[in-house]
Amino acid sequence: MPTLRIDQREISVPQGTKVIEAAEKLGIMIPRFCYHPALGSLGACRMCAVKFMEGPVKGVEMSCMVEAADGMVVSTTDPEAMEFRRYVIEWLMLNHPHDCPICDAGGQCLLQDETVSGGHGLRRYQGLKRTFEDQYLGEFVQHEMNRCIHCWRCRRFYQEFAGYFDYGAMQIGNRMYFGRFAPGPLESPFAGNIIDLCPTGVLTDKPSRYKGRRWDLQRGPSLCLHCSLGCNLVGSARYREMIRVEARFHGAVNGYFICDRGRYGFAYANHPDRPRQARVGEEAAPLDQALKTAAQRLGQIRERYGPGAVAAWGSTRSSLETLGMLQWLCQDQGWRGPQFFPQASLARRVKAAVARLDTGMAVSLRDLENADFIVVAGADPVQEAPMLALALRQAARRGATVAVIDPRPVFLPLEYEHLPVSPGDIDLCLNLLSQAARSEEAATGKLEPDAARFYGLLTSTNLEDPLLQERLLALGRKLQDCLRPVIVCNTDMVRETTPARAADQARLLQADKGQAGLFYLLPGPNAYGAALLAGREEVDLLAAMEQGGVKALVVVENDPLGSCPDQERLLRALDNLELLVGLDYLPSATAARSQIFLPTTTVFEKEFSHFINQEGRLQQAVPLHQGGTPIIQVGQGSHPPRTFLDAIPGGEPRPGAGILADLAAALSGEPAPPTAGDLWDYLSGEHEGFSQLASLTASALGEGVHLLPAEAQEPAWSPEPGEKPPEPPAGQLELLLVDQTFGTEELGSYAAPLQKVEEEPHLLLHTDLAADLGLAPGEQVALLLPGGEVTVRLQTAQNMAPGVAIMPRHRRLHWQKTGDGPVWLPPENIKKLSEPL
Amino acid sequence: MSTLPPELQTELAQQVAAADHPREQVINIMYVLQKHYGYMSDEAVEEAAALLDMTPLEVEELATFYDFIYREAVGKFVIHVCDGVVCWMFHEGSVFDYLCEKLGVCAGGVSADGMFTVLPSACLGFCDHAPAMLINGVFYGHLNPEKIDAILEKLRREYCDLVICR
Amino acid sequence: MGEQVLLLNRQPDRPLSLEEYRQSGGYEALMAAVGKRTPEELRQLVLASGLRGRGGAGFPAGKKWSFIGKGHPRYLIPNTDEMEPGTFKDRVLVNVNPHLVLEGIILSAYAISAAKGIFFIRPSYEMDAELIERELGVAREAGFLGENILGSDFSFDLVVHRSAGRYICGEASAQVNAIMGRRPHPNKEVHMTDAGLWGKPTIVNNVETLACVPAILRKGPDWFKGLARSKDGAGTKLFCVSGRVNRPGCYEMPMGTPFNEILDEAGGMSPGSELKAFLPGGASTSFMPPKFSQVQMDFEPLKETGNRLGTGAIMVFDQNTCLVGATLNLLDYFTRESCGFCTPCREGLPFIRDLLLRLEHGEGKEEFIPMLKQMAHHMFKAYCAFAPGAASPVLGLLHHFEAEIREHISQRQCPFKGK
Ligand SMILES: Cc1cc2nc3c(=O)[nH]c(=O)nc-3n(C[C@H](O)[C@H](O)[C@H](O)COP(=O)(O)O)c2cc1C
Ligand code: SF4
Ligand code: FES
Repeated sequence: MPTLRIDQREISVPQGTKVIEAAEKLGIMIPRFCYHPALGSLGACRMCAVKFMEGPVKGVEMSCMVEAADGMVVSTTDPEAMEFRRYVIEWLMLNHPHDCPICDAGGQCLLQDETVSGGHGLRRYQGLKRTFEDQYLGEFVQHEMNRCIHCWRCRRFYQEFAGYFDYGAMQIGNRMYFGRFAPGPLESPFAGNIIDLCPTGVLTDKPSRYKGRRWDLQRGPSLCLHCSLGCNLVGSARYREMIRVEARFHGAVNGYFICDRGRYGFAYANHPDRPRQARVGEEAAPLDQALKTAAQRLGQIRERYGPGAVAAWGSTRSSLETLGMLQWLCQDQGWRGPQFFPQASLARRVKAAVARLDTGMAVSLRDLENADFIVVAGADPVQEAPMLALALRQAARRGATVAVIDPRPVFLPLEYEHLPVSPGDIDLCLNLLSQAARSEEAATGKLEPDAARFYGLLTSTNLEDPLLQERLLALGRKLQDCLRPVIVCNTDMVRETTPARAADQARLLQADKGQAGLFYLLPGPNAYGAALLAGREEVDLLAAMEQGGVKALVVVENDPLGSCPDQERLLRALDNLELLVGLDYLPSATAARSQIFLPTTTVFEKEFSHFINQEGRLQQAVPLHQGGTPIIQVGQGSHPPRTFLDAIPGGEPRPGAGILADLAAALSGEPAPPTAGDLWDYLSGEHEGFSQLASLTASALGEGVHLLPAEAQEPAWSPEPGEKPPEPPAGQLELLLVDQTFGTEELGSYAAPLQKVEEEPHLLLHTDLAADLGLAPGEQVALLLPGGEVTVRLQTAQNMAPGVAIMPRHRRLHWQKTGDGPVWLPPENIKKLSEPL
Repeated sequence: MSTLPPELQTELAQQVAAADHPREQVINIMYVLQKHYGYMSDEAVEEAAALLDMTPLEVEELATFYDFIYREAVGKFVIHVCDGVVCWMFHEGSVFDYLCEKLGVCAGGVSADGMFTVLPSACLGFCDHAPAMLINGVFYGHLNPEKIDAILEKLRREYCDLVICR
Repeated sequence: MGEQVLLLNRQPDRPLSLEEYRQSGGYEALMAAVGKRTPEELRQLVLASGLRGRGGAGFPAGKKWSFIGKGHPRYLIPNTDEMEPGTFKDRVLVNVNPHLVLEGIILSAYAISAAKGIFFIRPSYEMDAELIERELGVAREAGFLGENILGSDFSFDLVVHRSAGRYICGEASAQVNAIMGRRPHPNKEVHMTDAGLWGKPTIVNNVETLACVPAILRKGPDWFKGLARSKDGAGTKLFCVSGRVNRPGCYEMPMGTPFNEILDEAGGMSPGSELKAFLPGGASTSFMPPKFSQVQMDFEPLKETGNRLGTGAIMVFDQNTCLVGATLNLLDYFTRESCGFCTPCREGLPFIRDLLLRLEHGEGKEEFIPMLKQMAHHMFKAYCAFAPGAASPVLGLLHHFEAEIREHISQRQCPFKGK
């Protein structure tokens, strides 16, 4: 630990710390442009010059390029260093346009700050300013190249950190131009981060352009709800409109960055059709009144048919408060449920996964970056949880081997090995990998008896494709030498056995190497919490509704009509109901169908809310504003509004938890529902996984805590690892419903900016299979599904498993005709409709 | 789809395949394509990218960096007039001006007959023969108007497409 | 003229052939070294010879080689970029005796156990690139290059890498990036000797440096040291003389030969010209007035005057040449060639250039002078040695010819215009 003095203050820092970082630890912010903690030092801008007075380095040097060393005495305020820095600012301002008044970075601009703090005020350069033409960079990033100070951050992030190569530096000298080969949308789903990184106004947030200065905005720490990773955000609202989201640093989760789905998905909160008023039947009603009516009618049904005739269906996108309150309500009233997942099989997979996590096993995204061998089983990171791909890239940059075992034509922005096998073969691949990674003696000799027994049970039939088999074994041999392996596994498209199998293999690796990690992806931002609440027993509301036992359904922030794969069955079930009560903030089909509707707030409005990400981390979202219909929508462009009201227009929605609590009170009044504080006590009694909650202080809740148990709920090896999951009937294809980065995720699909960039809906077949069927990419095909026909455009790929057909759950595709469980499809169910466009 | 003649396509593909690291061929490939297309056109950038498994942007990052890669159309002969300080000492820019006037072009432009482009150029390493210029890889030194006229005349007459760096 | 080592048997109109080179002892050093002496011995000999890099920085070659990392394959990059204005010695060297250059490269490769060499050459030297490519084939035929050189277990091959022209490509780390098909920006984060080209140990040397190696091995380090006239100097040096002299050209003279003797060798000042100033080692050195004409042309003596030997490219200016204009010309060049990576060079040089332009056009102001001074000094805090080089002539101008600047200001025009 070198010890040095900076501005007369002493500090010890770990070996390898740069002086600029050491100063930061003392609270001294040395001016900088090119240095960024996530990107590291570059030494290009020369802004961070300080004077080294004593020690191994002497004179004015860049603090980002010099490692802290014993005996260094550093001055950041030495006149020589200050004068040099003043020149750097002056140079950077030679060509910078003085357009701060109309620049969206104004007030949020490092260049502005450092120009002011450096004392540069008078322009001495009399030459002409260099000018550039801007490029169209897509719907998210606005380009204003004249403002560029060539700090390199955008390119370093875009190419080196994120691994995309359609944006970079062209030309030379002071004509250097950051942009694309030709105008067009940036291809990286992480492109929005260059907005946060740009120290001035070259790259600004396009959708929020000209919507307000930073100081005008209602800003606050929030969370991303667009997948289960739980990335941290800063949200900004103005005039009741959510206008912008930026990444917020979290050391263990997202680092400094987020993906574009997280950055632009928030627009659902401003959806023009967002239901902001309570409704009874077709009639708008005040929320209190609608709530009373709901209580009354639910009470009647309960009286008439018994408590089990009422059921509750929640989702994984609700806050822990709302989920907990719904649970409490069901218990209190004796209702059925709640069910939190669209399908029972998905609930089982998620519960299996969550039950396997403990502190010794789970790894964070940050830990993942330090792994040296990563097996991605049944996951397509860029499509499902984009920030996972960015973490994988960092691991690969540090030398990790990344192997993907997945039927889809998975693309990752890094070097990786892809083994396209069908979902039914993933377990086997994991077995084979395990076996190849361990010699016989090591396997039996070194392992503790349980692990050895498990190892002994692994089956090892060969894969059909000998080439794949060989590649897998080669990977396994590579795994032999690795010290920090991690298995990543999704719970979405895999067999029910797979999440548990991934955990078993991770434990086996741990037993072998002393260290190994497990990283799951779950369906939704609060799927972990929902899985804990759902407990061990199975709820299958759909079946109960079909049988007619359920007469009233309370649907909370959930859209079964959008998410349930068997819509025909769902509609039949809904027809059996006497009452459908809906609570939501989305203009969903289910909300529209509800006889009584109660509007809820989004994560950005009114009250604090909490979510548990896929590795069991409880995190808090702070409300940014009170909500209400955005002024721009109320006034239709004219402002201020001409009618004056004493309430916020569209301000009626309330947090789901509060509405449920009032509903509970109106239903019985006894016992009183838990208040916000008590809810944690209640939850901690509900499940061991929540046991920490009771003792947490408000500040701990604010910072977020890892709720993982020390020992997993399911610490035993799963039995019979050799058991083979169901195989498709010969000659049939397995239809896989999958996610896409844009266009399938529920909240984001209501966000206008994302709708502009979503991929087209399509059906994906292996190139050879399509050729065999006489189909060509680009053709419209009719897909005959159990629930009817779907028309979709065909795409083909070579690098996918041969026996599957892949279809995204696209918002513009009627995929809800597939039915539950694995869907086997005779190839003749895919028919050509038209020639390719 | 590539618009290159198949033989050239194969030849270049082989050149790339033979390299220890394909990327070390990027400048060579650009030279060949530049020769084929007359300059490093957008199409040439895309061809190079396809051959080298790079993105067009990555090729563009290099193509626009270098002096001898021409991203705009040039004449059959590209005249690099040395503006190094030694040549400057002997003519203070007049060789350049003379050529531009004579050929009716400005820097980077193409003469009406499509034959010539004039570019100012970093010291060519021919200071012992200052003032100097380089045309399609061939040096001409001790320049004066008469000598320049004669050179242009000769080039017009016996057009040959000499070397790689054009 | 002194002993000719590099330009021995120079023919006026053609390069020496392999046979001619061998007649005067060519490739003997190689035959005596490969398989007979260890690479370590070679490194020690070169270290003992005091050979310093001829590419501009003057770093001791043997010392650089001693840093070579453990990994393999290792690369040797003979640097023939030579884009320093005023410099053409490498072109002359290659044209006089390509095989001496090749033997130097092969021996040096042996000394650092390199498997591959990349002969990096600028595009305006296309003819020379072709020459080297041809002679390389000849050397390979003769068994001096390729697999199992001279029957030993040492294998080394050389390829020619054609640059597409930019001054910064001469900088060693930028050159490595250029070869790898990356943007040729310098990179100080990696140690080239450990992780240079393709992440492997790499040595970049100027070709003139490498061409000294055969003679050092043949005649010994002491002989080499003795060639020089300066106290701690070693060897001969290729001085290329240009500007207002009678016989501009490249001359091989002992290291440390005083400037005026080299000037005499080049035939003295042209008729009607008087010496006003000279740049001793290319555009990135500093103007020197005639009072320095006795200065010994070697690294240390020039350093003592606050200047640098650079590439040993001497440019001679006479009384009719405006030095503000000359400096402006140099800054035009540096501004245009700046790679753009770091701020001082990318933005500061155009600022300096603008001030010079205004001075030259009679729009100069007194306050420009301290600004020029400060900025030129600050260029030394740029990322690489490009910007300090660019600042050197400006500093020389300010230091020795401030009066000429003031004349531009007071006369509101260039005093040389219309003369
Ligand atoms: C801007 C710049 C340009 C350079 N150009 C050349 C060059 O053209 N040829 C050369 O040999 N060295 C050049 N150098 C020096 C190289 O970086 C390096 O020091 C040299 O090639 C090492 O060889 P040496 O030790 O034999 O001198 C340049 C350095 C800088 C900063
Ligand atoms: S000083 Fe800076 S901009 Fe100039 S060449 Fe070196 S790195 Fe590039
Ligand atoms: S922050 Fe150190 S040089 Fe840019």
